[in-house]
Amino acid sequence: MAPKRKAPVTQTGATKAGRTSALSTPGPATPRSLDSSVMSDTEIELDEDVSEDQKMREELYGQEADEFVNSWDISSKRFQAGHEVRNYDSATPFFKRRDFSHYPLKPDHQNRPLWIEPDKGTIVLERFSPLAEQATDFLITIAEPKSRPTFLHEYALTTHSLYAAVSVGLRPQDIINTLDRFLKTPLPEGVRQYIENCTKSYGKIKLVLKNNKYFVESVETELLQMLLRDPVIAAARVHSGNADLTTTYAPSMGGLVIPGTQNAAGVRQANLKQDGNKPGEQPEAGNEADVFAALNEEDEDDDKEAVHAFEIMDTNVELVQKRCLDLNYPILEEYDFRDDSMNPNLEIDLRPNTQIRPYQEKSLSKMFGNGRAKSGIIVLPCGAGKTLVGITAACTIKKGVIVLCTSSMSVHQWRQEFLKWSNINPDDIAVFTAESKSKFSGSTGIIVTTYSMVTNSRERSHDSKKMMDFLKGREWGLMLLDEVHVVPAEVFRRVISSIKSHSKLGLTATLLREDDKISHLNFLIGPKLYEANWMELSQQGHIAKVQCAEVWCPMPTEFYDEYLKANSHMKRTLYAMNPTKFQACQYLINYHEARGDKIIVFSDELYSLRQYALKLKKVFIYGGTNNSERLQVLENFQHNPDVNTLFLSKIGDTSLDLPEATCLIQISSHFGSRRQEAQRLGRILRAKRRNDEGFNAFFYSLVSKDTQEMYYSSKRQAFLVDQGYAFKVITQLANINETPDLAFATPQERRELLQRTLVDNEKGIEQDAETDDLFGKPARGRKKTTGVRRIAGTLGELSGGQDMAYIEQNKAANKGLKKKKGENQSTFFKKMAREKEKAKGR
Amino acid sequence: MASTSFAPSSFMLSEYLEKLPGATFRKLYQQPSTAFAIFRRMLPHLAKIYVQALLYMPEPLSVKDLDVWVRPEGKTASNRAIGILRSLHIVSVIQPSKDKPQEIQLTNNFKKSLRLALEGGGSHSSFGVPSRLPVNPEIDIPFLDNWAGKIWQDILYYVVNSVPVRNDSGGGSGYSSQGGPRAAVRELLLMGGLVRRGDGGGVQISEHGFNFLLQEANAQVWTLLLLWLEAADRSKAAAKGGAPVPATSLDNVEMLSFLFMLASLELGRAYDTSALTDTRRNMLPALADFGLIYIDPRNREQYFPTRLATTLTSSSAALRSVSASLDAATKKNPGDAGSLVAGAGVPEENGGIIIETNYRIYAYTSSPLQIAILHLFARLIMRWPNMVSGRLTRESVREAIKDGITANQIISYLAAHAHPQLVRAAAAKGTPVLPATVVDQIRLWQLESERMQPNAGFLFKDFDSVEEYAEMATYAQEIGVLVWKNDRKRHFFVRKVEQLRDWLKARKKGG
Amino acid sequence: MPRAIRGVLITCEPAIKSILLHIDKTQLNNEAIIEDLDDTHLFVKEQMLKTLQSKLDEKLKETYRVEQPLEDSDAEGN
Repeated sequence: MAPKRKAPVTQTGATKAGRTSALSTPGPATPRSLDSSVMSDTEIELDEDVSEDQKMREELYGQEADEFVNSWDISSKRFQAGHEVRNYDSATPFFKRRDFSHYPLKPDHQNRPLWIEPDKGTIVLERFSPLAEQATDFLITIAEPKSRPTFLHEYALTTHSLYAAVSVGLRPQDIINTLDRFLKTPLPEGVRQYIENCTKSYGKIKLVLKNNKYFVESVETELLQMLLRDPVIAAARVHSGNADLTTTYAPSMGGLVIPGTQNAAGVRQANLKQDGNKPGEQPEAGNEADVFAALNEEDEDDDKEAVHAFEIMDTNVELVQKRCLDLNYPILEEYDFRDDSMNPNLEIDLRPNTQIRPYQEKSLSKMFGNGRAKSGIIVLPCGAGKTLVGITAACTIKKGVIVLCTSSMSVHQWRQEFLKWSNINPDDIAVFTAESKSKFSGSTGIIVTTYSMVTNSRERSHDSKKMMDFLKGREWGLMLLDEVHVVPAEVFRRVISSIKSHSKLGLTATLLREDDKISHLNFLIGPKLYEANWMELSQQGHIAKVQCAEVWCPMPTEFYDEYLKANSHMKRTLYAMNPTKFQACQYLINYHEARGDKIIVFSDELYSLRQYALKLKKVFIYGGTNNSERLQVLENFQHNPDVNTLFLSKIGDTSLDLPEATCLIQISSHFGSRRQEAQRLGRILRAKRRNDEGFNAFFYSLVSKDTQEMYYSSKRQAFLVDQGYAFKVITQLANINETPDLAFATPQERRELLQRTLVDNEKGIEQDAETDDLFGKPARGRKKTTGVRRIAGTLGELSGGQDMAYIEQNKAANKGLKKKKGENQSTFFKKMAREKEKAKGR
Repeated sequence: MASTSFAPSSFMLSEYLEKLPGATFRKLYQQPSTAFAIFRRMLPHLAKIYVQALLYMPEPLSVKDLDVWVRPEGKTASNRAIGILRSLHIVSVIQPSKDKPQEIQLTNNFKKSLRLALEGGGSHSSFGVPSRLPVNPEIDIPFLDNWAGKIWQDILYYVVNSVPVRNDSGGGSGYSSQGGPRAAVRELLLMGGLVRRGDGGGVQISEHGFNFLLQEANAQVWTLLLLWLEAADRSKAAAKGGAPVPATSLDNVEMLSFLFMLASLELGRAYDTSALTDTRRNMLPALADFGLIYIDPRNREQYFPTRLATTLTSSSAALRSVSASLDAATKKNPGDAGSLVAGAGVPEENGGIIIETNYRIYAYTSSPLQIAILHLFARLIMRWPNMVSGRLTRESVREAIKDGITANQIISYLAAHAHPQLVRAAAAKGTPVLPATVVDQIRLWQLESERMQPNAGFLFKDFDSVEEYAEMATYAQEIGVLVWKNDRKRHFFVRKVEQLRDWLKARKKGG
Repeated sequence: MPRAIRGVLITCEPAIKSILLHIDKTQLNNEAIIEDLDDTHLFVKEQMLKTLQSKLDEKLKETYRVEQPLEDSDAEGN
């Protein structure tokens, strides 16, 4: 948790808040002198060019949100109720207060899959129990997954997870009863009270946009009366001459059908009457102990419940939301889109042959559980079809949609996906990027843009300003927020406050940040609605099966001696340039190319990225590579049988779809970032060949032995390891010395490499900072190009002609591709080029 | 279930026996019970066949004739069997003479006793004399199982360094084993190197101790008994002023053969103490300390062998049931007289351990002993009535390694106690039972602790000549003190310097 | 006449040797190591062995994740 700060004194307080993350990455010898942006996990740059006033406001919001999130954090509290008589035997002292052996087992405990820790709400699930499937469905709704390997899973009951459970429609009593039914021991009283206390205030108050008016809604009139006694809320109320609360009846799933689901198919085929069951939560047939049957029954009672509401002013929505947070009644946002007659409907549906997968359906059923659209976040691994989930949500709501992505590359990908999966008229879907600022033609439509386009006020052209006014001036039915994990809370706050949408859906693969700011998203976007299990999806063949390995590369003594003396930046360079690592990389590339794999090599460290690529004569892309060259390189990697290895800087971490890639080698990475590790793994999860029998994708992390990299590496793996991935440690690569043309095979070569590395980097030529946007603003890239040129000169002076040769060869490697330009361009890039032309034409 | 790589439980016993001189065997084999027990327990199948063949043979058998029975490919097994029989002094080989080829025959005492044991003849008290006195009806098999289980568990606890808690509310069974094993037993464990004194004055488990824990209950009993026999020898030696007592001493034979006799007694039956020799009667308190026999405090004329004793020479199948019933016994609340129904039904969750790829470890157990063993190498986190959770961490494993437990021992323990789910999943996939990455990591953690090895001693340098260096280095190597040398630099390092110094002096004088 | 010097022979991997030399130079004023024998051997003063060992352990802590203390709380180890 970021340290609490006093009120802002000077500029950029909010930005700093994002960057204190660096400190939460503990590294004993990582002094802060390092460029903090290198350490920061915040990858979307926050535009600092805003008014002092706005900064102050943001700073204050950030602070308050911090405090609020803190107050919700239960890790410091335990919810044990009173003193119980505990067992005590010789093994008890090993567990201190965590010995719960005094809870009696139920007589049929063997048939029940759960244990619960009474103090903190950690739940252990037996995956081999016959009831495991149902229990898993239940737990993913009410608790946070912590560990999901093969046999036993752990979940944690948290305030956030319970908030999410309530928001998808579970009631406290449902949660308690179901949990009790699954437990091997009786439900501890403390847990019962905890659930009751937590859920008492959640989900009771809803913010509903109806006929373009905002209503605060609840089934309990007393609650609304209580809120109205609050002066702030009372002042925000719209007095329509009638002091009474409006009363209506709560909606049900009723006739709502999520497109692409079994139900949808059924409706089309036979026009069957809907029975009100939630898709995705339908109990498996013939299972008598099914709890969801009971839940669904109770849901039907829900339908008859009366709800009460009062109207509030549009301008005061955020204020009321915040006030309700303060009063500990967080507001839940729901959009009754079927009753929205003000906003025009969008002509959009999934293409008839599009069938969504069971887990996609399950995640959407959480969003549309009661027939309204709830805001929240869906977490699916990379390659598991997050985009289709977003598109299906859009097809369900059928109103104007704004999609926010992290890069202009993904803007185009999103648009393509919309065209691929849905029947949307291409004129109804427009993009807003630096290059292209189109609007849809009809009364409503879809806009795809980037976070930075809508939050950067700096350098905003006339066109952009006009576009922004257009975006701000409308009401959107759905806001799709892609890769929410990389976006700082401040950016969300700006987006959300300037663009009005009825519902928000955040998508990500890794709801994980080293700076703990993730919990803010619960309040800014909505609770986590669903989180898929990576291992399960991989077993079912939805994502690739990946073999993970960590390859230990000892450093030659000369290198290691220098490493010990070096400052932290040089240390990083040295462990990346470790010749043993280089050889391992070479060996693995040879091995996998021979197997017919397409390989991506990742390096965060630009110097080594370039050196490796040059020496091995492979193509590479980094922040400084210009757009046409990038396209050229990617194009060749995908389609040219002679280009099988691509070196990428961290710009390729996210939102780069290369389904051809089946092998990934990491030679340098971002300290201990668990998220980067997961994101990078994601690059090979959608591998095209994943359905081949016995097919595996490969993920190698090369680490220099006895360096900090070892520490970072194990930290990075933590998330994936808890998802059930196993990293095999490889200490020796078989017959590596027989590799033809093995690089740096002689001590002489190694010494030269060391000297060159030291000299090149001592001069501080290299600035690692670069944009994450694969197709980012060229302005940033240009600076780098200069750097490259200077390096070439330095190398030449230093170590004579043979070094220059590498440069020349490399130029040939990337350049060699250019000759083929236009020959076999993929349809995707052709389309993209066409779209661009079109956009310019408007 | 994967089998462990540990030696069969009779290994240590046979080692002990093989060291005994022939005279001891002659005395031992005077007891039919001993001859029978050794025949049953210590011999491989082929050796048993040879014994049976030779038992009623009036004349020695020529080795050539014996060879006729053996197929060429069985030659090695045959030789091994004969080797064992010879080392246990069951057969003797008559060296060939001019008129006779090499012959083989059973030793006299063994032959006589084994015949007696099989025929049941003679008036020998070798198989124990049942007590004629009335027996306290409370002392039945479940009672004895529970009692022995408790005693044995206390001993194991002591080895894992966890002193059992006093549980004063229980009891009523009249035994006095609360508070851990008797001082004499503790002494024995320390002497035998199963535990060692830690820095804080307490005891710590040793590598031997961990091996001991991993053994079957029966092998554990033998380990302890053999330690005890050795200790008895030594104290006698000390009493006689340091002169080593020949192992042929009557006491020693008596003690050993009494153990074999106990193995032949019937569980649940009372035996007469007055029918015992003095030596044997003197052994009773110690045997009670080990849980091998129970003596009714109200009737000291009777002793009851427990399952630990009666299964001393049983086959391994029977042994498994022993450990199962002991497990059952130790699971009950210590001292809870109402629940002394050990062995009645299979223990309901004889769980097993699950180790996940993320190093989390879950053991389906409620046994404080098993939990204490886990605690030796894993971080324990939570405990429910039938399951405990924990983690293998670098630190927890390294601590274990520092205590002398090896990576292989930990791996074997986890494999031997693997949960059926693990075994099933592994069998289905054709993979090892334990996740390969975890096994590798445990080994790597051990390697890590071996990365720097210091050796105290002396560095020799500045030699006058190559010859001097070479000669001296060679000498150092010969006397086994050389640790390292560098011929180019003419340096070498030795553990000890005294002999080299003398050598140097002598050389100086000489040259 | 050869000399015999009392001390401790350390047998170790090259990387460990590098660290020990580095520690000796930067923290111990060159007072622990008597002689650098070869790639895998060092000769050090007996009384400095403990110091060297503990400083080595300290240094190696950079290379692995130190276990979070369990206390009585959640055992989330990052």
